[in-house]
Amino acid sequence: MKTTLTRRHALGFGSAILASGALAACGRQGGGSSGGDADSLTLWLGALEDSQRRDIDRLVEAFKQANNITVNYETHSTDDLKESMRQVSGTNAGPDIYWYWEGPGLGGDLVEAGMSLDLTDYYAQYGWEDRFTAASMAGITQYGGYHGIPWTLQAQGLYYNKTLFERAGITTEPSTYDELLAACDALKAADITPIEFGGTVNWHVMRLLDSLIETKCGADVARSLVTDKTGWDTEAGVTEAFTELKTWADKYFNSGYMSISNDDSSLLFWDGRAAMALEGTWFNAQCVDNGMDPQEVGIFPFPTGTGRLYGFGEGFYINANTPKADLAASFLDFVTSAEQMSGSGGAWAAVSVNKEVEVSQDNPLDALWPPILESSEEMYNNFDQALGLDETTEYWRIQNAVLIGDMAPEQAGPAMQKFIEANS
Amino acid sequence: MATATTASAHARAVRQHRVLRSLPYLAPAALLYGIFLLYPMIDSVRLSFFSWSGYATAPQEFVGLKNYRYLLTQDTVFWTALRNSMIWVVLSVAIPMVLSLLMALALNQRIWGRNAFRSIFYIPSVFASITVAAIWRWIYNPTMGVINQALEAIGLGDLAHEWLGDPRTALYSIFVASVWQGVGFNMVLFLAGLQSVPAELVDAARVDGAGRWQVFRNVTWPALRPTTIVVVILTIINSLKVYDLVVGMTGGGPAQSSQVLALWSYQQSFSNHNFGAGGAVATVLLILSLCLVVPYLAWSMKGDD
Repeated sequence: MKTTLTRRHALGFGSAILASGALAACGRQGGGSSGGDADSLTLWLGALEDSQRRDIDRLVEAFKQANNITVNYETHSTDDLKESMRQVSGTNAGPDIYWYWEGPGLGGDLVEAGMSLDLTDYYAQYGWEDRFTAASMAGITQYGGYHGIPWTLQAQGLYYNKTLFERAGITTEPSTYDELLAACDALKAADITPIEFGGTVNWHVMRLLDSLIETKCGADVARSLVTDKTGWDTEAGVTEAFTELKTWADKYFNSGYMSISNDDSSLLFWDGRAAMALEGTWFNAQCVDNGMDPQEVGIFPFPTGTGRLYGFGEGFYINANTPKADLAASFLDFVTSAEQMSGSGGAWAAVSVNKEVEVSQDNPLDALWPPILESSEEMYNNFDQALGLDETTEYWRIQNAVLIGDMAPEQAGPAMQKFIEANS
Repeated sequence: MATATTASAHARAVRQHRVLRSLPYLAPAALLYGIFLLYPMIDSVRLSFFSWSGYATAPQEFVGLKNYRYLLTQDTVFWTALRNSMIWVVLSVAIPMVLSLLMALALNQRIWGRNAFRSIFYIPSVFASITVAAIWRWIYNPTMGVINQALEAIGLGDLAHEWLGDPRTALYSIFVASVWQGVGFNMVLFLAGLQSVPAELVDAARVDGAGRWQVFRNVTWPALRPTTIVVVILTIINSLKVYDLVVGMTGGGPAQSSQVLALWSYQQSFSNHNFGAGGAVATVLLILSLCLVVPYLAWSMKGDD
């Protein structure tokens, strides 16, 4: 029988598809946006909530009214923003200003790549050092010089459902780790899921592991683990933290946590099916938006016993390649002024980074954060901001391997140290 | 002898003339192919010998075979990804192909609702993979998913499972979604192939007393050979580059247990900003693809030219 597909045709066909399939995803790509004309600025932002979009529109319009400068902004999803910034490095295609997370693994990555302008001169010119809280400035000066300007300080803690706590007989907020475990046991005994997590996004459960490492290792060792990258295999606290993580997952997490995302697991808290959530200040608005009575919600810091608070900062950076650095600095000065930040309410964070801005009264949960923030002089960062990108990927793999029982807790620290040394 | 030589030279000249005439038509496609496929592909192989973060401002440091040595001896994910990719290829060639052939044979008969069934089975192929991933993520949801709820409803609650959260079932659960999505497309290819089966040969075989199985084995299956080759090649290639369903359903987790080569290459490059290691994984994937597909093509096409 005569076939219609010859060997030559088929070989060519197969090779063509192979070529397009196997490697095309790894080429370099271009993209980005240009700086525009002299009377405009470009600004890249992360994904925005509705309230944040309204606020950035307000700020852009107010700046135009005051200076006749148009600010064109683009929003990017988390991964897209990271990828877009990488693509425009070393080119003039990037924005004049970009919003980004702080920390060596994220903002620091761009600082190292030469994409952030050192703003030392502008800090002196505008007196910004005096404008912002000490905690928020720590994230700006951590790389040496002044990289970026504070925009938010997102603290994280344990949100709890007061009704469920009462039902379990818990009358006071846990202030030590043992009290927290006792509260979890009481909730469990009352047939209430103590805490919710979504495991498909690795960084959600990571918050608990970070806090357990802080608790079991203490501040100095925890700091050393992520900055010096040593001690993972020798510090007993690391193994204790992973052991505790496994215990929490087996005893206190919502069932099926590994198959759902943080969005799905948050529903359990909002619906009153889980008593606690380890979240940050952005959760205030989400609780209200999802139908919770804010009077029924309480917040307390994870009781690590070190006095440090869990959190991270976000800032605006000026692109080192922009020819409009002066104009960009004037925009940043404008939007971080007490007048403008007061107008933002709680759109970006519960507590402003500007010392003079009062806490917004829009959401009662916002008012719970200032005492918590004031109780701490230092923060410990989410490890995915403190570690390098590949280290974070491995940290998550080890975390999840312990959770699903593929790795014993005592193997976790040595595995992390081995990876760090192999990639240093 | 002289006449034969002259004729051969003439034929060669005609072929060369045809090639020259076709060049202007081929050039645009060849140019695009070169820029958008060949260049990135070669560049990826080149990058696999370098250490580079992906930032244009960062230097590309030549490291020789270091990325490959790391991949083979120290990478904690590579071997899992390789094993999973191979499992995926074997399962894809075995299960969806047989299913799609059976469906095509059934729907090639004059049965009631034939066109409706063809459409129903083909529709999942039209969906974007990320949509399919979202659908199946809900189906597998441990508390609200239809599978576990159905098991509870019929008294088999003990079988309810954390399908995507258990490393023993995560990969296979994604594969089920892949079968649901892909089987309709292969069915259509087989249906098209069945239209080329000569009816007179089938009739002749039946007149000679051949049963259904004998007709299939001796007439239909040989006639489907070109289609089968295409389906096998597409299946192998699509299996090796499976990516979007894994991203959408597990992201390679839990603990990288459902990781596959294409996704690991992407994550090394674009998530970890380690373009050397990502290029090395992609190059291994390319070599693997060539090793699997080319021998099969050569064997399948033997004697066709």
